[in-house]
Amino acid sequence: MAETNEEVAVLVQRVVKDITNAFRRNPHIIDRCHMHPAASKPRLYHCMEREHGSSIYKMRKNQQRRLGRKELILSGTLNPIKDLHLGKLALTKFPKSPETWIHRRWVLQQLIQETSLPSFVTKGNLGTIPAERTQRLIQEEMEVCGEAAGRYPSNYNAWSHRIWVLQHLAKLDVKILLDELSSTKHWASMHVSDHSGFHYRQFLLKSLISQTVIDSSVMEQNCLRSEPALVLPKDEEAAASTEEPRINLPHLLEEEVEFSTDLIDSYPGHETLWCHRRHIFYLQHHLNGRFPQSMTQLSPADSPGGTLSDLHLIPAGSQLSQAMEVDGLNDSSKQGYSQETKRLKRTPAPDSLGLEMEHRFIDQVLSTCRNVEQARFANAYRKWLVTLSQ
Amino acid sequence: MKLYSLSVLYKGDAKVVLLKAAHDVSSFSFFQRSSVQEFMTFTSQLIVERSSKGTRASVKEQDYLCHVYVRNDSLAGVVIADNEYPSRVAFTLLEKVLDEFSKQVDRIDWPVGSPATINYTALEGHLSRYQNPREADPMTKVQAELDETKIILHNTMESLLERGEKLDDLVSKSEVLGTQSKAFYKTARKQNSCCAIM
Repeated sequence: MAETNEEVAVLVQRVVKDITNAFRRNPHIIDRCHMHPAASKPRLYHCMEREHGSSIYKMRKNQQRRLGRKELILSGTLNPIKDLHLGKLALTKFPKSPETWIHRRWVLQQLIQETSLPSFVTKGNLGTIPAERTQRLIQEEMEVCGEAAGRYPSNYNAWSHRIWVLQHLAKLDVKILLDELSSTKHWASMHVSDHSGFHYRQFLLKSLISQTVIDSSVMEQNCLRSEPALVLPKDEEAAASTEEPRINLPHLLEEEVEFSTDLIDSYPGHETLWCHRRHIFYLQHHLNGRFPQSMTQLSPADSPGGTLSDLHLIPAGSQLSQAMEVDGLNDSSKQGYSQETKRLKRTPAPDSLGLEMEHRFIDQVLSTCRNVEQARFANAYRKWLVTLSQ
Repeated sequence: MKLYSLSVLYKGDAKVVLLKAAHDVSSFSFFQRSSVQEFMTFTSQLIVERSSKGTRASVKEQDYLCHVYVRNDSLAGVVIADNEYPSRVAFTLLEKVLDEFSKQVDRIDWPVGSPATINYTALEGHLSRYQNPREADPMTKVQAELDETKIILHNTMESLLERGEKLDDLVSKSEVLGTQSKAFYKTARKQNSCCAIM
């Protein structure tokens, strides 16, 4: 067949349109193509030909093979949005498919690079936020990931794609992170052994911490440059004049701990929940020791609104000095420690109040649980906590 | 966490009779749904057959957990769930359903009943409501009267069978399973995953 490039391009565009329309008319068409999940895309189209009973696919299938989808997109023949839509449908059948996710990320990258419109805009006090178009793309990806996660347990590919979108499309925008934290809460509570789902929550919290620490150091700089009076997070006026909306990190972490408690009590015997708890506890005490030096030197007299502890970011006075000492510990003499333990030793010791509460929680679980696995996990958690404070 | 089926059965002296069933196969692909439903019926009947009166058991098969309660009066209930669904709530549901069923349907009808003849319509509603265990049973966390230590745990379907009995034979002899389902089972078996629907 001696067609010109343009003719081929037109044909292919029509193929994609036909396929998309076919799907739209009958979403279950893809179910009737009962194939092994590893089957390739050309086979998918071939199967659709069988179902849809049209011979146009046979001819075009060959052409499709000659022109990869990337080339089609780059040449402007295939609309990236349409390609994303097709990918979304493919994921309903093959929710894990690595190639589909990888290709999807490539397409998204094309979309944000190619456009002359900015992906991010400045909005008054809020600094830069994603443009509306970018927001829509992000929302769509969140939805696609959510659906794929529901179709296959602990769908690592779907969740890591979700993380990628937040990192590269949303640039870890704080508001989006917070929205994701609250919107995935219910899903997590209904998928208590989905490790990837809970890992996603850990990622969100970690990102919120890192984004806020960045803000704090910016705030600190502003602070030092301006008036001696400390800008308190509780001070509404002060908050409005800073770059980003204030978020209460310790409160968020507390909420997550409560969430974890609730789930562990309601659904005994799921290791994922206990793993999640370890991560949250680690984030909590890691956060406590991480606040910049200058802030800790302020005495209560400096802050008009209240005491140091009102800042929510620093634990009650005495524990802080204790934390500084631990920082200087040399552990090179100790052999045979795991990487995690070494890392933990470099961070300040967890505050004793937090540890005490955790031990009480473990006691409560052990005294009331009747599930063998639950008891095992509770004891393992206790052992882990003990290694933290050594 | 998910519930896939909820059935009420009668454990007769000669055989087990299915009285009423409700299914939620929406998470399975369109093509597989009728086979999945048949297998759940087959499994429910088999489990009741091999459980004694006055016992509760949980049978694990890959990612599924089948919870059964056979009352002393031979009325039985089976819930097929995934491995996230809390078993305590599953047994609460079974207790509730059998209690309600026994009040609405006359005992005389049990030994000879079938889904077509039995007049009990609440099953679908219960199945749907209990998809969210905390909404359906807010007292989940509270200690149930049920003594969980008395629940028999089977790690596979095979452990329910008699010595020498093979699941493959029971499947091929079954009246409940259609030809397509039996073929499906054979293929899945070859891939070393019984009823690997997911």
